[in-house]
Amino acid sequence: MFRLVAADLRRNALGALAIVLIVAFAAALGVAVTLQERALRLGSARAAAAFPVVVGAAGSETQLMLSAVFLQPAPLGLVPGKVLSSLAADPRVAWAAPVGFGDFVEDYPIVGTTQALIDGLGGLRGGQGFTRLDQAVVGAAVQLRTGDRFHPLHGQASSGGHMHGETTYEVVGRLAPTGTPWDRAVLVPIEAVWRTHGMEAHAGEEHAGEEHADDPHAGDAHVEETHTEAAVAGAGPAADPHAGVDAARVTAAGAPGVPAIVVKPRSIADAYKLRQEWRTDTTLALFPAEVLTRLYATLGDARRVLSAVAMGAQALVAAAILLVILLHVGQRRRQIGALRAFGAPRLAVFAVVWMEGFALLGLGLLAGVGLGYGAALAIAARLQAQSGVALPVLFTADDLTPLLLLAGATAVLATIPALLAYRQSPAAALRG
Amino acid sequence: MPALTVEELEVRFPGLETPALAIPRLGIAAGARIGLTGPSGSGKTTLLNLITGLERAGTGRILWDGTDVARLSEGRRDRWRAANVGLVMQDFHLFDGLSARDNVLLPLRLARFALPAGAGEEADRLLARVGIERRGQKVETLSRGQKQRVAVARALIARPGILVADEPTASLDAEAGAVVAALLIELAAEAGATLIVASHDPRLLERLDRVVRLEAGRVRPAEG
Repeated sequence: MFRLVAADLRRNALGALAIVLIVAFAAALGVAVTLQERALRLGSARAAAAFPVVVGAAGSETQLMLSAVFLQPAPLGLVPGKVLSSLAADPRVAWAAPVGFGDFVEDYPIVGTTQALIDGLGGLRGGQGFTRLDQAVVGAAVQLRTGDRFHPLHGQASSGGHMHGETTYEVVGRLAPTGTPWDRAVLVPIEAVWRTHGMEAHAGEEHAGEEHADDPHAGDAHVEETHTEAAVAGAGPAADPHAGVDAARVTAAGAPGVPAIVVKPRSIADAYKLRQEWRTDTTLALFPAEVLTRLYATLGDARRVLSAVAMGAQALVAAAILLVILLHVGQRRRQIGALRAFGAPRLAVFAVVWMEGFALLGLGLLAGVGLGYGAALAIAARLQAQSGVALPVLFTADDLTPLLLLAGATAVLATIPALLAYRQSPAAALRG
Repeated sequence: MPALTVEELEVRFPGLETPALAIPRLGIAAGARIGLTGPSGSGKTTLLNLITGLERAGTGRILWDGTDVARLSEGRRDRWRAANVGLVMQDFHLFDGLSARDNVLLPLRLARFALPAGAGEEADRLLARVGIERRGQKVETLSRGQKQRVAVARALIARPGILVADEPTASLDAEAGAVVAALLIELAAEAGATLIVASHDPRLLERLDRVVRLEAGRVRPAEG
């Protein structure tokens, strides 16, 4: 019986191949949508894992999360320096690190921060942390080598930024891979960002009324305005570009503002308390993971639409395949009927046609799962190269149910031509 | 080696006033070699389909050694035919893509999960007997005469008591037709099967015991 099925499929090898391919593409569409959506969800959730709590200026939660976790460039309001200083002093906080952005080197975002975040992201794979203001640590995927020097560019090169020619960084270390957009980031001391932008924004101006970042004992009247830029004046031109990094200066009450602060609480209870406390009129505290979840709940509808489109495509393909199989069986009526005339039981005729249909569709289904997996991997790799977010493409036990359902539907679909062959009169078949 | 008794058989097609086939009585002795002839549309194929159980008779009886094929359900007719009838058709109905040997064994393979003991040897013996030497050759590469000889071997693989052929030589050239005609008669005798052949081929008909002539669905007095 298997030999007969194999012989028949071989005889129609091209047609069979076409059917398998069509089924495979349809199945691949659905599989790829499912896998890719999951990969995006898992990948972004993992990217957010290193950022338990993010504190920023009052505004859009989603934007703060996207900017702090995914380094999406956007004008954010600044939180005053005293927020960082009080967070740093809070006993419930394991560590708190500023995140200041706005500059780029090539298309890599430059992030001003402190050693605490480098440790929080998983530490260094090579080289050393920055100890001077003109040093930088690059993410795992950044195409810069230790010892390379670069000038920061305000804005992205691709959208016509301008060069901060007066500032130069030297790469001294490389982060361990994180599978997050931070793999494409260049980390520099936050003070250097302040300094760069202070010099730029206030070149030739008087700074009499402003506090200096390196003066922890400055007055308490310093309130940062909301800027559309990533970092702001504060560090005076007096600051030496080769000066050492000084953590105390960053967390000083009078330090300049930053767009976002990453906070690692000591416990989950602390996390909730901190978030509660820093949700004020002027500041915003959030759990990136929670914001992501909300975002996905909103996007869930889009995913359902995509799934429906994929399912619709599959239904269309199923109908087309059915037509092809019916035509095929129609052509083979004589042969199939003849089998009965020569002594094959009806059930055997049914089984032969069913197996042939199921083999074709099942093979297509399997190939489709493979193809969809491959497509999802390829898309994920592409997206990862662009965004740095590692997208884990993987099957879960939940996938088994729809796949089994699909296999079941295939089995049912294959019974249609099989039933037709079963009902075929052998006498009519012999007449042709 | 069953005998056939047909009684009060009548087949009508919708829209036709006269019955397409009306046979009040026809008897065929066990082991007889019977020819069936007549013009196109005279009902030869219909009669063969009825006596082999391929089609179900509406009225009348078709008794093969007491089994009324007209009364059997479709499934039981299939089983009865598989056990008792070997068929040879004008158009061979071999399965392309399979070897000659696999084609001979196909009915047995489809009827049960495992081939009965000795079936392979029997297939080889039959193929040798009909003069097919390359048993592994795909049937689509055989000549028409060779194909019909494979079909004859297939008809005999289940050791049927009845061998029925419908125009077995009509699509063959004279030489190949003569070989097939001789094989049918010889093998039916060797197997001890009752042979019924519908044919226009006088060289085939003249070698049979008796020829039944059908005209417009009725049996005419036999010649020869």
